[in-house]
Amino acid sequence: MNRFILSQKGNCLPGSSVRFLIWLTTLVLVLGMTSLAHAAGPGPGPSASETSLLAAHTEAHELVRLAYAEDQVSQASQQKGRSQQQAEKTGGEEPSPGSDAWDDETGSIGSIPDPLEPVNRAFFVFNDRMYFWFFKPVGNGYKMVVPELGRICIRNFFTNLIMPIRAISCLLQGKFEGFGIELVRCVVNSTVGFLGFQDVAREALGFQIQDEDLGQAFAFYGIGPGCYLNLPFLGASSLRDTAGWVGELYLNPLDYMVSDFWPNAGFRTFDMLNKTSMRIGEYEALKKAALDPYVAMRDAYYQYRLNQIEK
Amino acid sequence: MGFSGNCPEVVVNGKRVVMGISFEDTMGSVEAGMGMNRWIAGVVFFFAISMLGTVSMAGEPTEAIRKTTDQILAVLTDPAMKGPDKESERARQIRKAVDERFDWEEMSMRTLARHWKDRTQPERSEFIDLFGSLLERTYLDKVESYSGEKVLYVDEKTEGDYGLVTVKIITHQQTEIEVQYRLKKKGSNWLVYDISIEGVSLVNNYRKQFNSILARSSYNELVEKLRTKLEGKE
Repeated sequence: MNRFILSQKGNCLPGSSVRFLIWLTTLVLVLGMTSLAHAAGPGPGPSASETSLLAAHTEAHELVRLAYAEDQVSQASQQKGRSQQQAEKTGGEEPSPGSDAWDDETGSIGSIPDPLEPVNRAFFVFNDRMYFWFFKPVGNGYKMVVPELGRICIRNFFTNLIMPIRAISCLLQGKFEGFGIELVRCVVNSTVGFLGFQDVAREALGFQIQDEDLGQAFAFYGIGPGCYLNLPFLGASSLRDTAGWVGELYLNPLDYMVSDFWPNAGFRTFDMLNKTSMRIGEYEALKKAALDPYVAMRDAYYQYRLNQIEK
Repeated sequence: MGFSGNCPEVVVNGKRVVMGISFEDTMGSVEAGMGMNRWIAGVVFFFAISMLGTVSMAGEPTEAIRKTTDQILAVLTDPAMKGPDKESERARQIRKAVDERFDWEEMSMRTLARHWKDRTQPERSEFIDLFGSLLERTYLDKVESYSGEKVLYVDEKTEGDYGLVTVKIITHQQTEIEVQYRLKKKGSNWLVYDISIEGVSLVNNYRKQFNSILARSSYNELVEKLRTKLEGKE
C-alpha cells in the first residue's frame, strides 16, 4: 500500500487556539484507552486483572524477544532442513549457502507491542465504518465533481503548506540537505508554483519532497514506537507517532492562518477528503488480501514506519 | 535501507585495507619492490574479480523481473485483450507469467516460518496451493488496475544466490511507490520469494497474521480461514 493509506494522521482535527484542547483530548483518550484495556483484561498474561500497563508492556517486549529467539533457533534448524531438501532436489550438485544472508532481513523483524489491542480493535472497526459509510461515498462523489488534476493541485497545496513540519524534522535529524531542499521547494512552489498548487520544484528542478515528520525525528533520538495505537479518524499510529502528531499541530501554518475552530476543522476535513479520494480502493485491497485486516494493518504500519525511519 | 554492505563499498573498503597492510609489510621487507608489485597485482586482481562478479551478476535478477513485468504489461496493454469478456483469458496469461517467476513454496515456507517444520508433506503442498492462490489473486488485483504507470528499475543488489531488485512505480497522481523484489536463484532461474511495497514485506505481513491466528487457534483453523478467504465473493 502506498504511503497515503498509512499516513492518514496529520490532517484532520482542528488546531490553533484549541491546540490545548487537542492535547487534552489526546491525553484523555490515551488514558481512557489504558483504563479500558485494564477493564478488558490483559489476555493470556499471568496475573489476570492485576497487570499494570507497564507490566503488560514489558511482557509484550519479553514475548517479542522470546519469539525472536525462537525464530532464530527454528530458522537455524529450518536452514538445515532446507539445505537437505535442496540437496535432494538438485541431487547434491548445488549446496545451499551456509548462512542465508538475507533471511535475517525477512525473518526477524519484530512486531510492535500492542497491549491495548481490544480498544484498538474497537477503533479499527469504528474507522472501518467511518470509511465505508462516510469517507468513501463522499470521496467518490467528490471525485466525480473534481477532475484528478484539480485534486493533485489541491493535494500539492496542502503538502506545500506543511513544509515547516518536514523542514524542522529534517533539522532535528541533522539532515541539513533535506532542510535546504524543503526551504527551496517552499520558496519555488509558493511563487512560481502558484501558492504551491504546482510542484514545480520537483518537476523542473528535481527537488524531491522530504518524507520526514516529528515521529521519525523522535525515532532518530532512539525513541521507540512505545505501543501501537489505532486512533479514531486518524487510524494506525503509535505512542511516539501520536506525540509527534500533536507536536506537528504547533508547526502547521494552517493553525496559525486559520485559527477559528470550525473553519480550521473544515480545511482539515477537506484536505483529508481530497486525499481519501485519491486512495479509494487501497483499504479495500488490504482487507481483501488479509486474513486478519487488523493485524495486517498494524504490521504494515510498523514496517512502513521502520522503512521511513531508516531512510 | 537495510542493505548498506553492497558490493562497491566492500570493494573500496577492501582495497583500502589491503593497501594499508601492503605498505606496512613491504616497508620492512628486503624485497620491497617485489612485494609492492605483488600487492598491487593482488589489489588489481581482487578489484577485477569483484568487478567481474558484479558486472556478470548485475542485471540477471533485474532482467528476470523486467521480463515478467513486460510479459504482464504486454497482456494488459494488448488491444485484442481489452474488455470484460477477455478477463479470464487475461488472468490466465498473467497467471502463467507470474507462476514462472514466483516461488510459492519458498514464500509459504518463509511465511509459516517455525510452523512449517511441523507440517506433513500433504499439508505443505495444500498450504502452498492455498496461500499461493491468495497471493496470486492479490497480485492480479494489483496489476489489473494498471493504466500506463511508469515502471523504473532503480537498483539491484546480489549476494550469492540472493538478489534484491528495487523498482519505482510512478502513478498518475505523481507519487512514487517503491517496490522491492527479493529473489533467490534456483538452478538457472531467479525466482521471487518476497515483495515489499514501501518497505512493507508481504511475507512478513502474512507471517504476523498467521502467527496471530495460530496463537489463538489451530493450524486447521488457519487453513479453513485461507479457504473461506479464497472462496469469498469476488
